[in-house]
Amino acid sequence: MEETKMASEFAVWHGINRSEINWHPIIDPNKCTGCGLCVVTCGEKRNVFGYDLQAHKAVVLYPDNCMVGCNNCQVSCLWNAITYPEDVDYIKGLARNIEKETIDKELANKLSKNPDLIL
Amino acid sequence: MSADQGSQIVNKKLWHGVYRTQLSWYPTINDDACTGCGLCLLTCGNSVFKWNLQEGMPLVASPQKCVLGCTTCGKVCPDGAISFPENPATFIRNVIVKYKVYPKVKEDLNEGLAKFPDHLVDSHGGDKNGK
Repeated sequence: MEETKMASEFAVWHGINRSEINWHPIIDPNKCTGCGLCVVTCGEKRNVFGYDLQAHKAVVLYPDNCMVGCNNCQVSCLWNAITYPEDVDYIKGLARNIEKETIDKELANKLSKNPDLIL
Repeated sequence: MSADQGSQIVNKKLWHGVYRTQLSWYPTINDDACTGCGLCLLTCGNSVFKWNLQEGMPLVASPQKCVLGCTTCGKVCPDGAISFPENPATFIRNVIVKYKVYPKVKEDLNEGLAKFPDHLVDSHGGDKNGK
């Protein structure tokens, strides 16, 4: 139930369907040492990872919850066990394809809900 | 909430046992390259940025709130206007080694799994690694 809610919350990224965006961590189980840093680095809200206590390894449970452009889990993995299917140029390409009106609307909405963010 | 109260809360924030204030990680905006689209402010979930309404430009208002090693705002910036102090993987590696965080990471992992038991995976339940 909660996962369904989470998935729908992240279903659209600035007007682009999240399911059309190829961005999520991939774990190489042969390199993963099971330290768990990726699991705890990913925020509780998105919580992309699970953990296999038997195998002592992290697993990707909810790839579509992954925040577009975030690779903090990859950066935190000392064993280079995490890769992404695309690179930063892919993300920039996506960002450049966002409709200006979409960002303007979302920005106005966020600022009206969070007036403390206005200088 | 006053700025003082805000900074007190931030000062107490720990990254796997390491005080956030001991570490320097934050975005820097190149105002000449920034076109003021606002995507950085929209992407950041930690209120690192504020919006200068007069200029129609973002500014880095709370660098201490930046998630260590995070470069998401920089990656999504269509103008390539955001930079960071150093390579994020190098930065995180140095923090991990210097402060020996893994015992605390394990504690945090166990706490997280206790809180979200549906994230415990049974290795006999099939291959869910990546896709």
